[in-house]
This record gives sequence, structure tokens and C-alpha cells, in this order.
Amino acid sequence: MPLLRKTPLAWKNLTHDKRRLAVALAGIGFAVLLMFTQVGFQKALFDSQVKLIDDLRGDIFLVSKAKYTLAAEKRFPKERINQASSCFGVAGAFPIYSELTLSVLKNLTKGQSSKGYPIRSIGFHLKDPVLRADAITDQIYKLRIPNTALIDVRSKGTNFAFPTEDDDLLADQPAELAGKRLQLVGSFELGTDFAHDGNLVMSAENFASYFPARKQFGNPLDVVDLGVVHKQEDADLAKVRDLVDDLLPNDVSVLTREEYRNQEIGFWDASTPIGIIFSAGKIIGFVVGVVICYQVIYTDIADHMSEFATLRAMGYKDRYFVRMIVAEGVLLSIIGFIPGLLASWGLYYFLANMTGLQLIMTMPSAMKVLGLTILMCIASGLLAVRKLLSADPASLF
Amino acid sequence: MTTATPNLSLPATSGAYADGAQLPKTVKVGGLNHFFGDGEQRTQALFDNNLEVRRGEIVIMTGPSGSGKTTLLTLIGTLRTVCEGSLQVLGNELNGASRDDINHIRRDMGFIFQAHNLFESLTAFQNVNMAAELQGISRKAAKERIEYLLTRLDLGHRIHYKPNSLSGGQKQRVAIARGLVHRPKLILADEPTAALDEKTGREVVTLFQEMAKDEGCTVIMVTHDNRILDVADRIVNMVQGHIRSDVAVVEASVICEFLRQYPLFAELTPNTLTDMADKMMVRQSEPGEVVIRQNDPGDLFYLIRAGHVEVIVEEAGKSEKVAELGQGQFFGEAALITKKPRNATVIATEETTFYTLGQEDFQAVLDQSKTFESELRSVLAGRT
Repeated sequence: MPLLRKTPLAWKNLTHDKRRLAVALAGIGFAVLLMFTQVGFQKALFDSQVKLIDDLRGDIFLVSKAKYTLAAEKRFPKERINQASSCFGVAGAFPIYSELTLSVLKNLTKGQSSKGYPIRSIGFHLKDPVLRADAITDQIYKLRIPNTALIDVRSKGTNFAFPTEDDDLLADQPAELAGKRLQLVGSFELGTDFAHDGNLVMSAENFASYFPARKQFGNPLDVVDLGVVHKQEDADLAKVRDLVDDLLPNDVSVLTREEYRNQEIGFWDASTPIGIIFSAGKIIGFVVGVVICYQVIYTDIADHMSEFATLRAMGYKDRYFVRMIVAEGVLLSIIGFIPGLLASWGLYYFLANMTGLQLIMTMPSAMKVLGLTILMCIASGLLAVRKLLSADPASLF
Repeated sequence: MTTATPNLSLPATSGAYADGAQLPKTVKVGGLNHFFGDGEQRTQALFDNNLEVRRGEIVIMTGPSGSGKTTLLTLIGTLRTVCEGSLQVLGNELNGASRDDINHIRRDMGFIFQAHNLFESLTAFQNVNMAAELQGISRKAAKERIEYLLTRLDLGHRIHYKPNSLSGGQKQRVAIARGLVHRPKLILADEPTAALDEKTGREVVTLFQEMAKDEGCTVIMVTHDNRILDVADRIVNMVQGHIRSDVAVVEASVICEFLRQYPLFAELTPNTLTDMADKMMVRQSEPGEVVIRQNDPGDLFYLIRAGHVEVIVEEAGKSEKVAELGQGQFFGEAALITKKPRNATVIATEETTFYTLGQEDFQAVLDQSKTFESELRSVLAGRT
């Protein structure tokens, strides 16, 4: 590429004035930080929406076709679980029960008149390998006792003020779930999301006794919220998924973990204002970046108008200048990205500690922001290049 | 025998018929008008400019500010679009030329502006190299050339310095090297020596002269620096958008030398002689053409630039050849002085170029010198 052998004018002009370069990098770094904040929060919040899915064991999941999000209480017959477990390549299929509307938890420390708040109750057969958390598997023996449950330590404190840090203290707290006494025998960690302020985990038997009205007639455990399917170890995931899908009637969706995650995030992203808010945040960061970057490049051009006009007099073509400004934009974005990335890293760490949100710098999101930054700087360069192309060599004599 | 039609449109001192007239023209300006602004604001900056600049010529343009010399320079430099008229530069017509053509032509030109316009971020070498790179000169050749030029311009020890650590004159010399590095065919310079001291200014114009002589590079510069006027082959003076005079310096001095050889002009000051040369116009005659006819009224004074003529006097129906005149000799003055008809017929014996002076201008020259007329009278008296 002949450009590389030539005088790197873009680079030289950019790095000549160190003070201006520092200001430029601070500005672009700030825009990068803004975008990272939006991307990070969005990812953290979306991740918290699918935390339950991430915490489930199993390879394939069964959900009612009508269940557009985890919080939607659409169920399917338990029959489907049995059908799935008989499918070729499937090692086992297990039901998970979940209840939100009927599941009102009251802290009775302050008496019977205390207000109750909805909490998500998750029921499972204690022998089934469906939940990943060690805290749960380690305390399964406690859940065999009737009217017991584990409470999520991250349940919203203002609603459910239970002393989750001490199991003995917790067990002594009087509590009531759906109008029946409940003993909180321990705690685990899952997290809240937009729809759920807290979580309880209990045995399927206890679950049935608290929520008998789930099914109008018959066994409340006959309707399942979520099916967890384990494939045989040597079986191919996609193949088993397709087999199960073929086998089951059309009222359930058969999804891999990835698909289920995407479906759930897709709902929050596309069907709620949350996605739009974060997109707006990203656009604001982008626009701020464009403005800052435009300012930097424009000033650089404005200060060198007669030099550029001289180059034009020599016979340098418009193409050269456009290429030079694009190069300047790319250079600015790359060297401005680095301080922005470091600052974001620090901010993520700080905010993760402060809020409990899962703010993690991942490669794909870093790449996404880098791409946006490059785009941002090139866009502002192209906006500013008109100024350069107005450099009139006739004014030099 | 036919009578020559006087060709009065070209001044003698333009050098159009002198030595080297056959050289290609680097710049040909024909009927060039230029305007600034639109509508009511429209003002004319150049009026019917005509100019020819030969390959290898060094042209100095002078004139008060606002006289249009800079406008003409930017037009020649393709930096402005031609409005009206013809402008040929390096064989290309600029009126209606495309952007690509213009970028192409620009690469054959070297610009030296009054301001140095160097990139602060680049060293002297890199600044000059910006011009070399555009031409696709090999890196090795470019390096040699840049080092040679900067050394010639007394910047050998500053090659890798940035403009910040150079003085004003040094920066200007870097800019000059940038204008010359690609061996342009046409150099356009605006006050190139204004920021320079006598010695370096001289070095710059010496470089110009070398490039003009060795490489046929043409130089057009606007300058008020009297110290370098001596390098000019041609001096163009502009006033209010008009080219008031366009003098090939050598040709003007040739004319003065011719005139000075004769006692009647010898007493004139160089100024008067130059004025006289300035006002002379070119006339050409074919072999056998009658230049002046006996008994016609006298209107012009003739100086032979090249060729030969016969002087014939008719008396009593008999023609007698009284003289043969050649380069550097003159005739036709008698009728102008005495206000009588021509006393002889002059016929060109070969293709001949004359420089002529009109009666009024001739009279004006006469008035310059009180002794002139009496001298002339004695000369005339001696002749008849």
C-alpha cells in the first residue's frame, strides 16, 4: 500500500500538539465511556433477566408457546415432560414450577397486619438435577420438611426484610406465604429482575400445598412452567432438540439454552421500552463522540488551511484529503478508545460493587464499542472534510 | 511591388521577433479578462491581457498592489478559473479545463508563496518531501534532491528540524526547496526573497537561473525586491488590470545599443533610450516589399532588427540605389524631422523585421533632448 511509504501526515498532525491530543483523547474517551456504560448496563440488565435460565442445569428447555417471557404465567401439561423424557437421545426431563401472582410473602416480624409482596416461588422435585446453585443442592435436606423454603439473598430488602446472612436468625423469623405459615430454612443467590423482586425455592410438594389453585381441577403439579431436558452425553444438541421438537405437540417451544436466552432478551429488548432507552443512551454517547471528534478534526483543519491549500496547489487531489481525514479519524478512535476502555473497566468494577449488577467487560461488547467509536470518528471526519475541501489555493498568493 | 501593412500590435521590446523567438511558449495569455463577484458587485480585475512567456525565461511582474499581477499569477497557476479569454500553460488551454487536467498541470508547477505554509508537525525534509511524493519520485532520488536543495539554500544543518526551531528566512527557504524539488517546468513565486537577506536571496535567484538555463524551467515571480531585478529576462509591469509594459530585457538593451551607436542618439540618457525602445512596435516585411515610398508623407521611424533593405532615390524618372542598410541601422527620420514627404523609397531585399516609432513618440523623444534636434539637423545636413 503506497500510503504506508508516504509521510504519515494524519499521524504527524494529530500527535504534533500534545496538549490538544490529550484533550481530544479525553473527549473521545468520554464518549467511549458513555457508550460502554450504556452497553454495560443493558447487558447487565438483560443478563439479570435470564439469570434463572443461566442457573438451570440441562441442555434443552420446554416452555409453553404462549409464554413470551419468564414472568408470563403460561403453562403446559406435565404430559409433555414424560413425552420428552421418552425421546431418543434424552437422558431425562424434569418439570419446574413457578408462581408469582399467588405467591405473596409477608414478613410477620411486625405482626399480622404487615403488608405482603409478590415474590417468585420456584418449585422442583428435590431429586431432579435442575438447579445449578451449590447453595441449593447443599440445603436440599432442609427443603424436605413441610412448609419450608430457601430465600434469595438478593430479594428486595425494602419488601422482604429477612436476615438472610444468618440461617438461625432467619429460621426464627415468622413469615407467611399465600396465607400459610412458611419457615425460611436457608438462603441462596439468584438476583432480581424487572419482573421479580425476589425468589423462593421449595420442594414441589410444598409448592403444591401453597398454591393449590394453580390448576382449577386436579393436581396443581399437573401444569408445568418450565421443562428441563438433559440430553445423553454423547448426543448432538441440535439433533436432540429437533427430535424433541418433532415429538412434542405444537403447544410447547423446544429451545436450547442459547435460543431460550435470546428469546427472553429479545422480548425485553424489542417489546419493552428498555431496549429503546439503552439504544437512545448509546446514540447519545455516539453523538457526543461525533461532536467532540468533529471539533478536534475541524480545529486541526482550520489551523492548517493554508498548508492544505498549498498541498492542493501542488496537485494533491480531493481523494488524498478525504483519505487523510479518514485515517485521522481511525487513529483518533483507536487511541481514544484505549483510555475510554480503561476508564470503563474501572467504572464497571466500581458500579458492580455498588449495585450488584453483573457489569462485565466482554470481548464482543468491547468490539462493538470499538466499532462504534471508529464509525463515530470517521463520520465526524467526513463532516469536517468539507471545510478542508474549501481550502482555496488562490488565497495564498 | 506591394505596400506592407504595418503590424503595430506587438511592441518591439516584447522580444517576439528577437533571438529565441522560436522557443516554445510556456505561457500564452490571449485577450484575458477576469472578474470578481457577481451581479452588481461584479468588478473587472484584468482587462484584455496579452502575454507570452518563453520556455526558460525568468519573468518579473511588477506593479502597485491591486494592479492585478497576483490575479494573473493565480490564473496562470490554475488556482483560479479562467473567466474570459485564452490562457495556455505548458501547452494546455486552461479555459474550460477539467479538474483532472488541472491537477495534472499543477504537478508540473512549483509554487512559492509569500507565507511559507509549512506543516509544523513535519521536519524540513518531510515538508519538502510532500511535494516529491506526489510526483512519484523514488525515495532515493528524492532524498538526494532534497538534501542537495536544502544544502544549496544553506540549510544543510537544519534538514531534520521542524519549522518551530527555524527562523523566518529558514522557513521560507524550506518552502522554496519544496517548490523546486520536483523540477517543475514552471515556477510561480510571490515575493520569494522578501524574507531573505541579500546573500540567501541571491542564492535563491541563482538557483532559479540555473534551473531556467539547465532544465528550461520558466520562472514567473512577483517581486518588489530591486536587488534581484537583474535576473529578469522579461519585466512585465501592470497597472489597474492592464499590462502596461512587457519588456524583454535583453531585447530592450539590444535596441538601446543599436541606437546608441549613432551620434544623434548617443547623447540621450539610458532612460530616454529605454522609453524610446518601449514605444517601438514590430513591423515585418517580405522580400521585395516597399517599406516606404518616396513622396509619401512620413509617419514612422524605422530601426532594422534583422534583414536588409535598399534605399532608392528617384530623380527625373531615373531610379538610383543610394544605399543598402542592415541590422542595427535606421531610416525614415528625415521626413519626421522636416515634416516633408519621404525623400527616398525603401525596399526590403529579404525577410526583414523593423522596430518602428510613431511620429508623436518620436517627437516626444526629440523633446527630451535639447541638443538632439540640432544634432540631428547637422547629421541630416551632412547626409544631403
